[in-house]
Amino acid sequence: MGLPLFSASDDPGPSFFHFAQSTGLTPPVSNSSATSAHATTVIAVRYVGGVVMVGDRQATGNYIASRDVRKIEAADRYTAIAISGTAARGIEFIRMAQLSFEHYEKMTDTALSLEGKANYLSPIIQRNNLSSPLLVLPLLAGWDSALKVGRIFEYDGAGGCYERFDFSTIGSGTPFAEGTLRLGFNAELDRDAAIELGALAMYEAGDNDPSTGGPDFVRNLFPMIVTISSEGFQELAPDDVAERFRVINERRTQSGGVAGGSLR
Amino acid sequence: MTNYFYVAPEQLIRDRAEFAQKGIARGRSIVGAIFDNGVVLVAENPSASLFKISEIYDRIAFAGVGKYNEFDRLREAGIRWADSTGFTYSRGDVDVRALANYYAQHLGDMFTEGQKPLEVEILVAQLGNNTRPTKLYRIAYEGTISDEPRFAVLGGDAETIKARFEASEDSLESLSTTLTNAVSALAGPDRTIDVGDLEVGILEDRGNRRTFTRLNDDQVSELLR
Repeated sequence: MGLPLFSASDDPGPSFFHFAQSTGLTPPVSNSSATSAHATTVIAVRYVGGVVMVGDRQATGNYIASRDVRKIEAADRYTAIAISGTAARGIEFIRMAQLSFEHYEKMTDTALSLEGKANYLSPIIQRNNLSSPLLVLPLLAGWDSALKVGRIFEYDGAGGCYERFDFSTIGSGTPFAEGTLRLGFNAELDRDAAIELGALAMYEAGDNDPSTGGPDFVRNLFPMIVTISSEGFQELAPDDVAERFRVINERRTQSGGVAGGSLR
Repeated sequence: MTNYFYVAPEQLIRDRAEFAQKGIARGRSIVGAIFDNGVVLVAENPSASLFKISEIYDRIAFAGVGKYNEFDRLREAGIRWADSTGFTYSRGDVDVRALANYYAQHLGDMFTEGQKPLEVEILVAQLGNNTRPTKLYRIAYEGTISDEPRFAVLGGDAETIKARFEASEDSLESLSTTLTNAVSALAGPDRTIDVGDLEVGILEDRGNRRTFTRLNDDQVSELLR
């Protein structure tokens, strides 16, 4: 590629996506109406001081394709993106988002606001999902450094962006995870309680949804847990995550797989 | 019918060069130098928001003197080039030499074929790692590219500043020393530059992927003490 110079009237501005489109860097899309399942569970829970995200690690086709996929990535220091849907499109989507936020920052010398990032992704999702059977549905969570709160944004298939003030889930394990979250959520959750609730919701999803990988004690592979707060994007250490799932599993084993009427 | 007067190519080039040099000489100069742990770029710039020094990529920085709108467009093109190259291949494949060559070609084209030559002079710097060397490329208004081994000076007063800086430093020094030498080279013996009028950017490994940092006034004062 040569030096991409533009005249002031057709300059794509600081949006990397528009620049990529104008230069043909992103492949053209064709029309299609088929859909594919999105086998995944990713959970985001808001707590006082940030957002917790929990994501399962399993990639599912007609069989289990991989057991250690990372579905949550840092888009930048204060923003996390999780994906459900087609892996290939999801990975490209994350790359595009990461690059776009940094590109904007370099071009303008200011960081995009969290809401700006959330809105920016809408047309990218729309363009992908309305033109391809290879759907991608992301979940965006971040620390809003202007408002000093953690915020969660979810999307519908057509790219609509909705802020959630409590929690959100994406993927096929949603019904099971969401049931748990609805019973356990309250606005005063602290970091630890939110992690606990998220892990429990993931345990439920892994227990009931064949396309969600719960804790894998045989291979010592566990869902990934991250927090996004004023400290930025932080991933919990594997040992910490393993211990939390071990405790839940222990309780469930003792009660013969029954949750026991209370949220545990 | 239009009459074209014959102008000798030598004359044409001379006129264009003179025109570009005049434009460049109007602005303040920039020093870019390698120090023992990275690269420092120092500009005299009274504006705190219209930058002359910027980040291009993880290990590449840009500095420009002359007409702001002209070098800023080159800066934007550089960021776009680097980001799309990294997106297409990998981040490690973005190399400063390719970018410097593109800049040189563009400036050369504008000098000979453009309505007017660009009144800019730019510097692209790369912080080395185990696969790439630390590099400073200076690209002049007519497309001349020079690979500067230790430091580069851009702007109208380049020769004087170059001599002053050369006299003060003959080996790699600390950031603090190099910055101090660069600032006194820019200022000259008869004046001092206020910290608020300095723009300083560095490329330095601090364990992060992105190595460019813009230093604020406090950090600069601390280093200049």
